[in-house]
Amino acid sequence: MRREDFPMPPPAGGKGGGGAPWYAPVGGEEEIFAHAWRNRLPVLIKGPTGCGKTRFVSHMAATLGVPLFTVSCHDDLTSADLVGRHLIVGGETVWCDGPLTRAVRQGGICYLDEIVEARKDTTVVLHPLADDRRILPIDRTGEVLTAPPSFMLVVSYNPGYQNLLKGLKPSTRQRFVSLRFDFPDPAREAEILRRETGCDPELARRLAGLAQALRNLRDHDLEEAPSTRLLIYAATLTRAGMAPLEACRVAVVESLTDDIDVAEALLEVARATFD
Amino acid sequence: MEEAIGRLWHRLVTRAADGTHPQAAARLKDLSRPLAIFFRALGGDPGLRLASATAERPGHRRRWLARVAGSGERLFPSRRDHEALRLPPVIDAFPDAALNRDAYFWLAALAAELDAETPPRRHGDDASHRNQRATLRVLRDWPGMARRYRRLVDAYLPRRRAPRELPDAEARREAAIQQALRAPGSVERWPDVPAKTPPGEPVLLWLRPDSGERVAARSAEASDAAGAPHGETKDGGEATHKAERADAPRDKHGLLLPFRAESLLSLAEFFRINRSVDDDGEPDPEAAQDLDQLAIAPTRNGERLAARVRFDLDLPSAAEDDDRIGVGIALPEWDYRKNLLRPNHVFVQDMLPRHAVPSPLPPRLAPTARRLRERFALLRAGRRWAKARPDGSELDLDAVVRAHTDRACRRTPGENLHMALERRERDLACLLLADLSLSTDAWVSNEARVIDVIRDALLLFGEALRATGDRFALCGFSSVKRHHVRFQRLKDFSAPFDARARGHIEAIRPGYYTRLGAAIRRASRMLEQEPAARRLLLILSDGKPNDLDLYDSRYGIEDTRMAVVEARRAGLLPFCLTIDRDGGDYLKRLFGPNGYAMLRRPEDLPHRLPMLYAQLTR
Repeated sequence: MRREDFPMPPPAGGKGGGGAPWYAPVGGEEEIFAHAWRNRLPVLIKGPTGCGKTRFVSHMAATLGVPLFTVSCHDDLTSADLVGRHLIVGGETVWCDGPLTRAVRQGGICYLDEIVEARKDTTVVLHPLADDRRILPIDRTGEVLTAPPSFMLVVSYNPGYQNLLKGLKPSTRQRFVSLRFDFPDPAREAEILRRETGCDPELARRLAGLAQALRNLRDHDLEEAPSTRLLIYAATLTRAGMAPLEACRVAVVESLTDDIDVAEALLEVARATFD
Repeated sequence: MEEAIGRLWHRLVTRAADGTHPQAAARLKDLSRPLAIFFRALGGDPGLRLASATAERPGHRRRWLARVAGSGERLFPSRRDHEALRLPPVIDAFPDAALNRDAYFWLAALAAELDAETPPRRHGDDASHRNQRATLRVLRDWPGMARRYRRLVDAYLPRRRAPRELPDAEARREAAIQQALRAPGSVERWPDVPAKTPPGEPVLLWLRPDSGERVAARSAEASDAAGAPHGETKDGGEATHKAERADAPRDKHGLLLPFRAESLLSLAEFFRINRSVDDDGEPDPEAAQDLDQLAIAPTRNGERLAARVRFDLDLPSAAEDDDRIGVGIALPEWDYRKNLLRPNHVFVQDMLPRHAVPSPLPPRLAPTARRLRERFALLRAGRRWAKARPDGSELDLDAVVRAHTDRACRRTPGENLHMALERRERDLACLLLADLSLSTDAWVSNEARVIDVIRDALLLFGEALRATGDRFALCGFSSVKRHHVRFQRLKDFSAPFDARARGHIEAIRPGYYTRLGAAIRRASRMLEQEPAARRLLLILSDGKPNDLDLYDSRYGIEDTRMAVVEARRAGLLPFCLTIDRDGGDYLKRLFGPNGYAMLRRPEDLPHRLPMLYAQLTR
């Protein structure tokens, strides 16, 4: 097997020619987001993994023509990681802005992905930014930054009960306009698959049907429902020449479960779709 | 010698007659989990169980050889009732193992589609019409099934008797069946057959939808059968029994034979004897296994035997009963058939065991308790690096740099330049809810009953949690119908875990039934009062929820599930630890795939429970 046997295809989806990442709206979420931006309100997006939250935010940033600052949250994230810290450069100490501070100085969207993963004391620095004050006090430099009109704070999280022990402080969540995302209906999902990967409509339709069936198992046999992202992987592999059943096995079934019985059942559903 | 030849003959003749292929057989017990998940994925009702079908004598016309061999007399036709999807225990009709396996998945897909059909059906519809329509829908919705169905039909049709081998009317019917299999949806009208014709051979690839009489539903309605053994046979609950509702004989006297005695019946058939008094206390499970059908006749005047034999579970007199705390609480209950929450439907009484004397930890548990306390003290000291401390084992680099800049700008530098490992606040509350119903009176080993294991587990759990410093409460419950749910408050959140609490635990006794939903609601109310950020509701169970009234099987499970959902909505984290080895199916429905753990050996409970707590709250 040589490398030349696998020519690199152009990256799937993403830029749809005009610059803004392509996004298929489901309801009025684009208008809501634009209204929130115009009226300087922060937005919270909740939804299962891989349903298009991050894509939506980058799509909106491009549509509104503002820069996007993304932070993926984790449980060691400190407020200094968001706001900034002093660094020692050649014997001098230099203040270095964090992504949040950069967004406030320049204007633009600051997007905190999976906010519940961050420690609760960390998210408190967002509070003065997320209400009508729209300020960011930096105690280490003694500055108080006022956010420009184009600044917007967006946070997202996955409200599955696995995150129950983490959760979001009510004082944090009650500062946001909230959007709930879920997976699109089969027809729209098929359209998304087709647009993203350029696969043939029949394959897209069947993959969307498969996802619909597997989502019946959410909370009963599966911890998480299969995401649109996984379907895109499966469609991409199939389009590259893999057998659909095999693509579903590696991109969907095995990604969803470690349990052998469950995997066997999911594969049977895939067989019922593609065999 | 005679026996050996007999056996050989039996083997030869049955093999010749059935044309089955035992070496390629697919077995339900190997496939039941994937099948159940497959059924649910295709839209089947997630509340249904997957069970093994019951043997029936379809009475169809068999080949000469089959009659000689006695094969095909008892078959296991697939069917779906409101409780379960019942598939044959073994499918060995095809020489290819993959094909036998496919037959199972085909039946599951068909059942899911039959489920999807909305009730208003065309007049004069029967099972074969519905099967044809469902087949069409499976083929339409699941393109991958089409090839499989074709393979199955091609292999299956030659196994059926050719129409030309059959008498006229039956031949026409058989031809229609085969036509319906070959081209589903093409047979609209079934040929009429004379009244006395034997029924057609059951079709392996079809299944009987919800058969008219809802026996179990009705008997559940009549609040019966709750304490009866759950149709489980000794060899692991393999076969179920088909129950048929038969009218009770009209004559007034028990033991008067209403038929002419010269026509002898074999033991395995239903005698219409009015046994108004049940003389056999312990029903013989083997007798039930030999019968294909259990006939259940409602006794007249609504008088139930069960009501009479269960007097021993009646409540003790007030003087002997446990102490009541407060006046009791009315709680709602979920009725899945009406899809509504019935307000104030159950009445929960808080109680304390009477005759409880403060007691020390039993000496046999002392070594384990000491080990647990040591381990859990470590848990309490779950520590992390705290920054900006006046002293500590490491320098806080951030703080040092900040002090440096401050000095450079001629400001007063801070003095907190160290990092220290500090104990983390655990901000956690846990309520342990233990099942104390009569089923815990069962023996798990030669030495201990379930209740003894639970008692030890509670004692050790208390010792372990005392070491962590987490706030916790210990409760137990049992119930006698909806007006009397007994909720034992063994240790409250505010009470210390001391000799008094241990005394309460020592005094627990098994009794009554398991109205789990109400107990969860009551426990949730208690836990909701706790201010902690993380609140764990740990449930210790030994089996399905059940009670004397209609709180049985599906009703109980749906109500409990709703109580769990409510608890989750209130921000609690329910988790169930069970010793019911067959509980996988319903527990998943109740608590979600990661909401429960199963113990293979109940004896391990006292050691596993504290460890589980440590894992959950890590």
